[in-house]
Amino acid sequence: MNFNVSRKDFLTPTWFLIAAGLVAGGAMGLYEMFLGHVFATNSALVWTLPLVTYIFLALMSTGVSLILAYGLIMKDEAITRHTRALLIMAIGMLLGGFTALATELGSLLNMVWILLSPNPSSPIWWMGTLYSIELVLLAVKLVLDLKGRHGVFDLPLAWGTLLIAAAAAITIGAVFGTVIGRPDYQGAFLSVITLVSALVSGAAAIVLLRPQSTLTDTAGRIFRQTALLFAGLLLVRVAYEAHSTVVGMLGWASIWMLVPFILALVLLQYAPRIFAFIGILGVLWVQYSFIITGQLVSLGQTAHWYGAVQSYQPNIPEALILVLGIAVAAALIKLGGQFLMDERPPAT
Amino acid sequence: MGYGMVIDQQLCVGCAACTIACKIENNTPVGFNWCDKITRTSGKFPAVRYEYISTMCNHCDNAPCVAACPTQAMYKDRQTGLTLHDTNKCIGCKACIVSCPYGVISFNWERPHQHWAQRDRLAEGCFSPREMLEESGGEGSPHGNPERGTTYPVVRPAGSVEKCTFCDHRLVKGLAPACVDACPSGARQFGDIDDPNSEVSKLVARHGGKGLREELGTRPRVIYIRDYKPQRRFEPARPAGENQGA
Ligand code: SF4
Ligand code: SF4
Repeated sequence: MNFNVSRKDFLTPTWFLIAAGLVAGGAMGLYEMFLGHVFATNSALVWTLPLVTYIFLALMSTGVSLILAYGLIMKDEAITRHTRALLIMAIGMLLGGFTALATELGSLLNMVWILLSPNPSSPIWWMGTLYSIELVLLAVKLVLDLKGRHGVFDLPLAWGTLLIAAAAAITIGAVFGTVIGRPDYQGAFLSVITLVSALVSGAAAIVLLRPQSTLTDTAGRIFRQTALLFAGLLLVRVAYEAHSTVVGMLGWASIWMLVPFILALVLLQYAPRIFAFIGILGVLWVQYSFIITGQLVSLGQTAHWYGAVQSYQPNIPEALILVLGIAVAAALIKLGGQFLMDERPPAT
Repeated sequence: MGYGMVIDQQLCVGCAACTIACKIENNTPVGFNWCDKITRTSGKFPAVRYEYISTMCNHCDNAPCVAACPTQAMYKDRQTGLTLHDTNKCIGCKACIVSCPYGVISFNWERPHQHWAQRDRLAEGCFSPREMLEESGGEGSPHGNPERGTTYPVVRPAGSVEKCTFCDHRLVKGLAPACVDACPSGARQFGDIDDPNSEVSKLVARHGGKGLREELGTRPRVIYIRDYKPQRRFEPARPAGENQGA
């Protein structure tokens, strides 16, 4: 642990950006939670950009966890040498996602009923439970690492995080599969998409946030492989939508979605951070598209009020919740880097 | 024992008395209709067809909203077959809204009826909304029905969903839901649809009938009988001698 942190370490452009995001996004989040409704939602279109933010950050955290667990199980030193940094990243991203989710949930104080009155038939219950367990496991691993206690628990903990993280990502696919399944059949496809998108965004985040480390090569390799798989899956979906005969189907995939991943595949080695960032934007685009599209189809009596198919554009308050989630994640990762890492990153 | 409703499309005149009665009985906020409608226009002039289908929670036996709710805030009441909601357990995740294939659940994005707290008067000498509320003694709005509060809050909290309860507060007193009593043409019948000898079951046995989107396997408890046909305008739903209407 490093307590030798001065005020100067916080007077940097990165910290100013983070602070601006926290203040603007935090104010908007508090307003939505306690004062009035400013999100562009209605009784038929209920999950919008704030929820997309949660899914985006939670899946990115899952990807980082999966890569770390893989490294620990396979004893890949390129990964295990960065265990603490990766744990901080995964925890920061997950808490950033939870923050965005909190602005979106109606009654946070009633969350206790998730424990007291659980419903195992509910995918959302599984999503909440699995991510809570994941957070606890990551925190336990971080504490053990800080105390320098490594030994018999390492492998079971790594397997535990691997299984829980994979199950959580698959469950997110189950939750949104039911929504996108309104106009069209999805089956288990979306669960595969969410799991692979977690790996793509997690690997890209490692390339972006841990530059010039031994990890860049390994994470870059994983990023290229998973981006190729992701592009292939998207292509299957695009082809399916092009040939579908389902009446009134709204497609969520577009051939243009492949571009960021193909660019990253080909050009990553020349500018890793830029193309990792482009890959992350590509994942956010795909996740946004499959979360929103299914809800655009109004059901039953709501069609009378909102039309058979709605249109949606995120508004500024919702965009600020995206900023808030990212700012919380960035602040926690920065704080972790400054206080918990032995070799501190240079002040930026 | 399990409650159910039969709606006779031949008798329904599309007057929306059910919708209004429900709003008054259940104190629903502006923009929320627990009892609502689907309308469909089809055909080409002069052979045009207009359909009015009165809708509400179908109290499905295999309710997707109940399966999706992470906290069991949305639940099936075993005694009555009703799908009910506990606002105390609701975390406002909206999984029920997304899962209900009928679009009958509404979400309170903010505190309902808050415009009734305003103190501004439109013109000198008239009541402000706040004064009207105080004068009437209603909870939340001057229309706040205290009897509604015996089984479900009169004003559902912000951050919680709400939907039709088949007027469970009236059922415990042996009354029919408000929409059934308000229907001027007797198109709505209510009773124990699990009992083959009940009036509602006999209507279904006689006319067939089906629920909305039954192909989804939700097993709705609201059954629609007799599509409207002008030529059977004067044909009764039941043979002569049997009680007609509600
Ligand atoms: S109609 Fe919708 S809200 Fe009512 S029981 Fe069925 S799924 Fe649930
Ligand atoms: S919004 Fe409330 S009732 Fe609906 S699923 Fe979530 S917790 Fe259950």
